[in-house]
Amino acid sequence: MTIVAHLPQRALTLTEEESAAPPAMELTGRRRASPEERALSETIFREFHADPRYHEFVLGCLNCGECTTGCPAARFYDFSPREMLQIAETGDATTLWDALQEKIWACCQCYTCNMRCRFGNDIAGIISVMRELSVSHGVASTRKTLAPFGRSLTLLMTVGTQVSSDMIQPDFFRDWGPFATGSDRAWGVGADIMRRAIPSDVLQTTRSSWEVSVQTSLELFRIYEETGVLDMLRGLDPDLTEMLIDIIEERREEFEEARERFRTELEGMRGPVATFRG
Amino acid sequence: MNPILVLGAGPAGLSAAAEIAELGAPTILVEREAYLGGNPKRWHYSLLAPDLRPSDEILGPLIAKVEGNPRVELHRSTTVTKAERLPKGFRVTLKTGDALETQEVSAVVLATGFDHFDSRRKFEYGYGRYPDVLDFKELEGMIHDDRVLRPSDGKPPRRIAWILCVGSRDLQVGNPWCCRMGCAVSIKQAVEIRQKHPEIDAYVYYMDIRTYGLWEDLYWKSMQEYGVKFIRGRIGQVTIAEGGSQLLATGEDTILRRPTEVPFDMIVLASGMEPGTGTQEAAALFGVPVGPEGFLTPNLSDMNPVDSGLPGVFLAGAATGPKAIPDSVTEGMGAALRAYQYARN
Ligand code: SF4
Ligand code: SF4
Ligand code: SF4
Repeated sequence: MTIVAHLPQRALTLTEEESAAPPAMELTGRRRASPEERALSETIFREFHADPRYHEFVLGCLNCGECTTGCPAARFYDFSPREMLQIAETGDATTLWDALQEKIWACCQCYTCNMRCRFGNDIAGIISVMRELSVSHGVASTRKTLAPFGRSLTLLMTVGTQVSSDMIQPDFFRDWGPFATGSDRAWGVGADIMRRAIPSDVLQTTRSSWEVSVQTSLELFRIYEETGVLDMLRGLDPDLTEMLIDIIEERREEFEEARERFRTELEGMRGPVATFRG
Repeated sequence: MNPILVLGAGPAGLSAAAEIAELGAPTILVEREAYLGGNPKRWHYSLLAPDLRPSDEILGPLIAKVEGNPRVELHRSTTVTKAERLPKGFRVTLKTGDALETQEVSAVVLATGFDHFDSRRKFEYGYGRYPDVLDFKELEGMIHDDRVLRPSDGKPPRRIAWILCVGSRDLQVGNPWCCRMGCAVSIKQAVEIRQKHPEIDAYVYYMDIRTYGLWEDLYWKSMQEYGVKFIRGRIGQVTIAEGGSQLLATGEDTILRRPTEVPFDMIVLASGMEPGTGTQEAAALFGVPVGPEGFLTPNLSDMNPVDSGLPGVFLAGAATGPKAIPDSVTEGMGAALRAYQYARN
């Protein structure tokens, strides 16, 4: 029988009324937002707080700052996971809106903050919920932020990976420090030596890491369609989305042709195959 | 009347045994260690918050009340290994070394206390790895002996940091409760050190300062009169600073909203309170329910904080949750009275 046991359990799902609740407060001394911007920021605020993950990820905060201690992004930007958790908890839509403009993209989703948090928050998770919202609402600044990543996105959406291990070398990652590149021998070995330790049969397969089977591509795309990722992307970059759909259409045709060929060949060998349509 | 058994000779147990004897009933006081005085004695607590009186001045008279008291039968280095319920009270087996002894008692007071959190479990602070990272109970001993020196090289420190809430208010280690004394004791230590060695800088890293009630005075004075510095935010990691002789504390200053890295000569961890081994054993022996935190739970913590709800079983001190010495002494008195009433009827 503890004190906590006497407190009512927090409901994990919101009532309809709660999830439609408007922002609870407004901070003073902020810049004036245009009516459109304001309307959008309030919509995002509502959706954010109605997201079932919100109640799983944001539990409360002691403002201890331990999450910030291990955060790589906090060392370089005016950004901290503690601040993001505070922003997640604010009742002011403009504060959330402002964070969506730039801050949320400082995080590299390394999840160190979660490992440190003494309250059990999923800070990295709530940041990615913020990102999802700004992508699916096509927030202008987000479009700009993500514009240089079209190539990565295309690869991710069509073959499921954007890196192959033969890419893991300093030329591709100019932000690597001296420890990783091996020019500083403090660790004894650098990336060049470590790369040589990769078994050669693994290297064989990684060369072909972008050459996935057509079924894999189609299945992957199906997942993006079903889970709404494609719709989300449409809000952000309609042109890219159309291009991806074209690529996948081509693959689909390729697949259909291959299937047809296979069918004819089988029939040639055994006569008509009635049950193949599966 | 069969004697009343008091388990544990820390402040609560000493107080209970002394009061039972004072009421005129025979008392058996059982202590697992060879000495009396519990954790304050074990770790040589120096001055006790909030009045900054030497711990010996407080424990001394308490110990004197039971030692040599004809109504108190003292068993040092002894544990209870078995307890059978009788129509009134218990038949208990006491074990001293290899010797076993059976006694019938009319009631029991469980004053089995707490253990300090083992700071090695917060591995990021490097306790047990870096000699100059101390647990604050170790610093107590140093202050008590007036030898505040870096264990690594025996030199006097220039800058000391205290980290509060180590193993408290922390779900990472499963201890969400507050230790109630870490703030006061750390600030007291900083004051003691600044008093004797004003050349040593003292920094306290905190989330909240919980010098509750009248203890707040200590917090204010530490700033007003002793120049102790407070930084709001926690250290999340301790490493060795460049050059190798100092410790580097990495954390966030949450008021200035920036990550910080500060070198220190010594870092002191305010380790929290956990239910002691004795408390867990007592819970199993006498069937007292424990809460999710592992402390014994009184039946009605607001109306009857010293009643377990089981006939003849009473509770006192930090066995039911983190507690300061004055509160433990008070509960010892309360439990003595309740146990006496039960045993007499
Ligand atoms: S997940 Fe993001 S916010 Fe968390 S520590 Fe990593 S970079 Fe920082
Ligand atoms: S670690 Fe958790 S509790 Fe501490 S500041 Fe970060 S989010 Fe808040
Ligand atoms: S008393 Fe102070 S140090 Fe101890 S847990 Fe509470 S806030 Fe932390």
